[in-house]
Amino acid sequence: MTTEVTPRPTGRGSRGAKQSARPATVSSGRRQRNRASAVLMAPFFLLLAMVFVAPLLTALWMSFFAQDSSGLGFGPVEQSFVGLRSYTAVLGDPTFMGSLGLILIFCLVYIPIVTAGALSLALLMDSGLAKLRSVMQMGLFLPHAVPGIIAAIIWLYLYTPGISPITEALGSLNLEIDFLSVNLAVPAVVNIAVWTSLGYYSVIFFAALQAIPREVLEASRVDGADALRTAVMVKVPMIRSSVVMVLLFSTIWTLQLFTEPMLLSHATPAINSRFSPSMYIYDAAFTRNNYGIAAAASVVLLVASMLISYGLTRFSGRLQREEGR
Amino acid sequence: MSDAVRRRSFLTMGLAAPALAGVSACSGGRGSSPGRRGSDGRTQVTFWSSLRGSHEVVQAFNESQDDIEVVFNQIPDGGSGGYANIRNAARAGNAPDVITLEYPQVPEFVVDGIARDLTDLMSDGLHSKILPEALARTTYEDRIYSVPNDLEPLVLHYRRDLFQERGYEVPTTWAEFAELGRRIRDESDTERIANFPTNGGTYFAGFVQQSGGQWFDTADDTWHVAMSDTGTQQVASLWQELIDDDVVTMMADGEEFDAMLSRDRILTRTSGAWDAGAQMSARPGQAGQWAIAPLPQWEAGDAQLGDHGGSTFTLTSDSREPEAAMEFIEWQVSHPDSMRARLSAGTSSMFPVVEDLVDVARETFDDEYYDGQDIYTLFSEEAPKVRDDWNWGPRMTATLQLMQDNFARVPATDDTLLDAVEASQAGTVPDLRALGLSVSESSA
Repeated sequence: MTTEVTPRPTGRGSRGAKQSARPATVSSGRRQRNRASAVLMAPFFLLLAMVFVAPLLTALWMSFFAQDSSGLGFGPVEQSFVGLRSYTAVLGDPTFMGSLGLILIFCLVYIPIVTAGALSLALLMDSGLAKLRSVMQMGLFLPHAVPGIIAAIIWLYLYTPGISPITEALGSLNLEIDFLSVNLAVPAVVNIAVWTSLGYYSVIFFAALQAIPREVLEASRVDGADALRTAVMVKVPMIRSSVVMVLLFSTIWTLQLFTEPMLLSHATPAINSRFSPSMYIYDAAFTRNNYGIAAAASVVLLVASMLISYGLTRFSGRLQREEGR
Repeated sequence: MSDAVRRRSFLTMGLAAPALAGVSACSGGRGSSPGRRGSDGRTQVTFWSSLRGSHEVVQAFNESQDDIEVVFNQIPDGGSGGYANIRNAARAGNAPDVITLEYPQVPEFVVDGIARDLTDLMSDGLHSKILPEALARTTYEDRIYSVPNDLEPLVLHYRRDLFQERGYEVPTTWAEFAELGRRIRDESDTERIANFPTNGGTYFAGFVQQSGGQWFDTADDTWHVAMSDTGTQQVASLWQELIDDDVVTMMADGEEFDAMLSRDRILTRTSGAWDAGAQMSARPGQAGQWAIAPLPQWEAGDAQLGDHGGSTFTLTSDSREPEAAMEFIEWQVSHPDSMRARLSAGTSSMFPVVEDLVDVARETFDDEYYDGQDIYTLFSEEAPKVRDDWNWGPRMTATLQLMQDNFARVPATDDTLLDAVEASQAGTVPDLRALGLSVSESSA
């Protein structure tokens, strides 16, 4: 009893003291925290302004204020407000639409392959069936560490008839295959893309799989599910949000496809100078010297990327909420 | 969840990239600063070119001069980055005084405000000396935008040794050419009369010039784009037939084609006059085996030609010494010493646009490779047949690139040459409209 009673006044007293002191310390703490968060966030906002907002505004400006001539165009060159003219031109350009169409095909081929491939590799690693898991992970991840341009050069070597050991080996089997021909150009680029990103995505999936609570897996084993059934019915649904994230990453990567086809385009006419939207933009700016059209195409691509990303994040948000329930 | 954070920052980075691509303007561009006076007080003129023998020409000019000093900078040829160098320098405001443009690129450099109107700077003397067919190609609406240096009529380079050995007649019409081609195909599995170069949009354009096509008519201050007109259809259907019947090969003008020429698999080449010199340095082993004849015509007795290759000199808008620079251009295209200096390198067989220089060229050119054939007399008979009313379009580099991208599809797909030309037009017109040019379009 006494022990209960005696501390009370002191407790109350100290609490009273604390209460009176609170407003001061809390507000100074909050100020400090605000300052700290401002300092910590500043680099991000600075970078955001420099590498995203400023270029975006410049692109918008360039798409509305462009080189303007009249008649044959031999008069003085002016920079003036041209309204939606650059946008009309881009959307009416069959080569730009062609590059968008190509990207769509690319998405339909590349994304299912890379997602399904990475998922099955991650499930294999997670199931413990695979031996030498860390070596395998390392081997899969390495191509991602190789810069895109180097990857493209490596593959260009493997694709080029006459110097490639692969075409030579196939040739000795009486198989004449030209990876750089018109019909194989898209698969050739898809192959480079899959090689580069497969390991990276499987690491993402693997990490997500490792986070699945063991008791859930035990429960499924107790219920009599074999490894395959556990993988398909339990594991995959539990990492749905990672799957959506990988879909998002790979879609954005595809929309920006540039380095690999750009390099291959120097080796084969099957990949032309306006193969992907990014290449179209590059060609418009630096070959055609038409900055208005380049800026308008950039904005169109940006809007398309934003819409797709927004759709996918909304979708993943809903999945996460369902998972949380 | 850390996923969300990573996703957001990834998004930010990802979305920035396409916007950036359209923005990053150029930097760089060396050379002409407004210094303008050499150490000895001579006016400095800067000159960028990729033309062979330019170094020798500049040296000869500087030795002949007390007032002007030309500072020369060798740049890669246009398609390999030379034009990009000039554009970058112009955007940075320090383009050289004098640049070299090939005929197809003249309009686009004018439209972009890089090449200057030379009409009032050109002396009457120079004006009257230049072959009118050549000058017409750099003149739009009575204003002259560049000074022609050489005009290269399309000619037929053929294997004289094999023609004589087998009793082939040199074809004078395209019908004879096709007939001879079929005969060569029937007689040999490996030999063909010619190659249709998938990367040779300018050759195709040369044929179209001959057949009376007009891709870019400039009547009424408007670009009338008609890249699949009757003349073009005529050329396209001839070559399409030759390709379909395996009479000619269809591959890029590159290593594989070079190898076929060296191995005596290709018996003729249609190319500009300049190519005689290029042939000498590319295949010295075939000395004495080649001869040059006029290009076949559509009907016997016709006398119409297109050109291929050929360069011009112009002043840039940045030029601060236009008079001195113009003096250099005039000397370069019309002085005999210039011609001698250019041919002294031994690899050029360009056909000058100033008549006085043809004799100089004939004397300087070493005709041993062609077994003593007087090729300059042939060139001077052919040059006046070149169309004087052909216009190149305002975005010709891109137009030709598109055409070649689509030519490359022809051997592997069902596309035809005409499809390729139409695709080229479809990809060109939006560009012109975006520039605010007045454009009218017609298709086949």
